[in-house]
Amino acid sequence: MIQIEQLSKTYQTKHGTVKGVDDVTLEVKTGEIFGIVGYSGAGKSSLIRCINLLERPTSGTVKVGGQDLTKLRGDGLRKARLKIGMIFQHFYLISQKTVAENISFALRAAGTPSKNIGPRVDELLEMVGLSDKRGVYPAQLSGGQKQRVGIARALANEPAVLLCDEATSALDPNTTLSILRLLKDINRKLNITIVLITHEMNVVKEICDRMAVMQSGRVIEEGRVYDIFADPKTALTKEFISSVVSFNVPEEILKKCDGTIVKVLFKGEVAGDGIISDMLQSYPVKGNFLHGAIEYIQELPLGIFVMELKGSQTDVGQAIHYLEQREAIVEVIDHGN
Amino acid sequence: MGIEWERIIELWPEIQVAFYQTLIMIGISLGVALVIGLPLGILLFITDRGLFWENRPVNSVIGFVVNIVRSIPFIILLVALIPLTQLITGTTIGPVAASVSLSVAAIPFFARIVETALRDIDKGVIEAAIAVGATPWMIIKDVLLPEAKASLIQGITLTVISLIAYSAMAGVVGGGGIGDLAIRFGYYRYDNTIMIVTVVILIVLVQLIQQAGDFTAKKLDKR
Repeated sequence: MIQIEQLSKTYQTKHGTVKGVDDVTLEVKTGEIFGIVGYSGAGKSSLIRCINLLERPTSGTVKVGGQDLTKLRGDGLRKARLKIGMIFQHFYLISQKTVAENISFALRAAGTPSKNIGPRVDELLEMVGLSDKRGVYPAQLSGGQKQRVGIARALANEPAVLLCDEATSALDPNTTLSILRLLKDINRKLNITIVLITHEMNVVKEICDRMAVMQSGRVIEEGRVYDIFADPKTALTKEFISSVVSFNVPEEILKKCDGTIVKVLFKGEVAGDGIISDMLQSYPVKGNFLHGAIEYIQELPLGIFVMELKGSQTDVGQAIHYLEQREAIVEVIDHGN
Repeated sequence: MGIEWERIIELWPEIQVAFYQTLIMIGISLGVALVIGLPLGILLFITDRGLFWENRPVNSVIGFVVNIVRSIPFIILLVALIPLTQLITGTTIGPVAASVSLSVAAIPFFARIVETALRDIDKGVIEAAIAVGATPWMIIKDVLLPEAKASLIQGITLTVISLIAYSAMAGVVGGGGIGDLAIRFGYYRYDNTIMIVTVVILIVLVQLIQQAGDFTAKKLDKR
């Protein structure tokens, strides 16, 4: 659905040129929810704004639905944008227009016949759960409600793609969750491809199918969200993941342990605790659980346990080898004394 | 310096005429400022860097002309535009004639006010409209003007009040009006009564306009 090829965006500032996006190539498939994470300044905002050409890339191409947007200008580009919805961190509704007027603005942009506008607005308001707010001005709405209006406006012209620029970053955790559910719902019902950028890893964990991690304008890691959570490659990705799934054992506790500390990870349907008890029965090692949980990422379980293994070095080594044979990912944190 | 009530009654017809002349001058010049200054201000804004009609040459030329007209002291503009006034109105005397120079002064003044008002709009709202696929005309009509409505009304208030002040100078070319009356009778002839009366009328007028402007701006603002 979206093909970004060798896209770069540089900015001229007083202190010289700054690379906002640096040679990014990405593909987003039809119907998936794709998340781009990174700290502020990583270039993710520039990247998403290049998708609908709110910013024109310095080089490279952006294709949406097969159409190269970088070749378009003026009215052609405007028409292409009708099929690419966008929502923003600060909603950006027209403050002097009612909820219904904000949505009909988008419909009028597409030249919708006026007799169809009213019913379509009602339909959209119902979809985002704001049917009772038709004639209300944005100032009277909560943040979550404003974002719902933003979503209704973005979906007005039945776009194939929805771009979300930090759409939940200004919202509290509960509202964030309800907006994410709405987005997921829309994605499933309407088969809209969603690209979202965020610095909140839980957003990605909650709704994204695939993700990319950005740093200094580059994509440093990309793949299925589950795979990246299970096996992050870069330090930055690990850092992001630890913000939502943290398995840090307090220093004090670690000091008291004299065995080998390992982090064991089980992917998917593999019943992790069963394998661990098998291991403990088969090898003369003692195991102490220090931390553990089963995280569900997109309904797929990911078991993570931190444990201390006590026994002779050979036995511990063999036990770890056994776990690895049973498809666990084992990371030795501390070799013990 | 007491107020002589008989004098007021005596000159009342003249005060009325002057008041009427002031209204004509302000009405015409405000109308022209709105009709020409508003589009000019919008053009100044949307042709600026990073906006949807970015056009450096157009922006620089309009900005330059606006600055030139605004730098000329009004009293000089008033005299310098006598030929133009003659051309447009067929006369150089009276409130309608004075309205020509007032309009010329008010257009760039109001254009800058419009530009400033539009600058205060959150760029994100304009961007959201672009992202939605709106035409430039729709953005002007449905985003820029409504979002700047309150500041535009404040700007109109400011323009009217400035025009009242400028119109006092219209006497130089025989334009008439309340301000002119104050200068002719109060200043040149030491007629305190008339000076006080006319100044009081002007104070009340300015107050009323300011309050009406504030009220309307507040009433229409939905934020």
